[in-house]
Amino acid sequence: MAIHFDKREAVYIQVIRYFKEQIAIGELKSGQEIPSRRELAQQLKINPNTVQRAYKEMEEEGLIYTDGNKPSIVTEEKKRIKEIRESLITEAIDQFVDRITSLQIPKEQVFELVQSKLNEPGREGEEKHD
Amino acid sequence: MIKLTGVEKKYGRKSILNGITFEADKGQITCLIGINGAGKTTILQAIMGLTPYQKGEITIDGEKLSPAVMEKVTYIPDAMTLLPKMRIKDAFQFMSDFYQNWNGKRAKEILEFFKLQEDERISQLSKGNTAKVNLLMGLAMDADYILMDEPFSGIDIFSREQIADVFSSHLVEDRGVIITTHEISDIEHLIDKAVLLADGVVRKEFMTEQVREEESKSVIDVMREVYKG
Repeated sequence: MAIHFDKREAVYIQVIRYFKEQIAIGELKSGQEIPSRRELAQQLKINPNTVQRAYKEMEEEGLIYTDGNKPSIVTEEKKRIKEIRESLITEAIDQFVDRITSLQIPKEQVFELVQSKLNEPGREGEEKHD
Repeated sequence: MIKLTGVEKKYGRKSILNGITFEADKGQITCLIGINGAGKTTILQAIMGLTPYQKGEITIDGEKLSPAVMEKVTYIPDAMTLLPKMRIKDAFQFMSDFYQNWNGKRAKEILEFFKLQEDERISQLSKGNTAKVNLLMGLAMDADYILMDEPFSGIDIFSREQIADVFSSHLVEDRGVIITTHEISDIEHLIDKAVLLADGVVRKEFMTEQVREEESKSVIDVMREVYKG
């Protein structure tokens, strides 16, 4: 597990985003145990209070679930996982559309460019999920 | 909580601390940042009662400094104070003979954490390993607060990384840590609070996650504003 941190963004937010991505692409599976707060702080070399905050927020958002003193697990609610995936996709598309519209390129050309970019050799391998 | 309020100190006519006010909470890592001569070491020594100050107040968990209160704090100076001829295990024995709150079990654990051997002689340790043993001596004490003076100063990058790992480990769990440094990049994501000092004054005290979240600034951005702006 490794995150390249942006020094100008709250670390806990970056940790949450990382978990969302891992859940969305299926790298972290529904019901799977996640590292303890201490383990994650050590792995990522960040402040344990920051990890604590990220985990608390993820619990409130229903991303992870903790039963007593047991290790926290990724939510088992399929609906929630689908939502996470969709929100990440929407976010990425929104960002892309924002930037591309500011460049004032005709739609047809955008579609073409996106398509050829996605068809570039080496890209297929990245589509490992449904 | 360790709390300093308006602490002033003079050596003769020279002012060293000009009204230092800040707080360091238990369970948090507070970092005193400033160039050499900013008063960092003097602040730690004042908290430890090692140097007198003329004005202001220092309290630990709400109580004024006293021998009983001082038991809660351990101070790790930036230079090794052990005899060079000692082996690490002799140093452990020495500490256990002289200090009631020496925790031998934790000392061995930290030795393992740093991948050091107890048969090694202090004089034969590399600079980085000397710094680790120095740190170990303080961390192994049962104390609520740990003060570390420049733990990263003058050592190689891998030793710095290993020492930085201490801050995210259980070795400092629930304890209050105050660390001084003039180099922040190794520990930017490890500290809770930064206290920027210059000329014996606190120029700014802030929670690092808060400036990142609310102002989209890195710790270095804030330092740049304070010291150059």
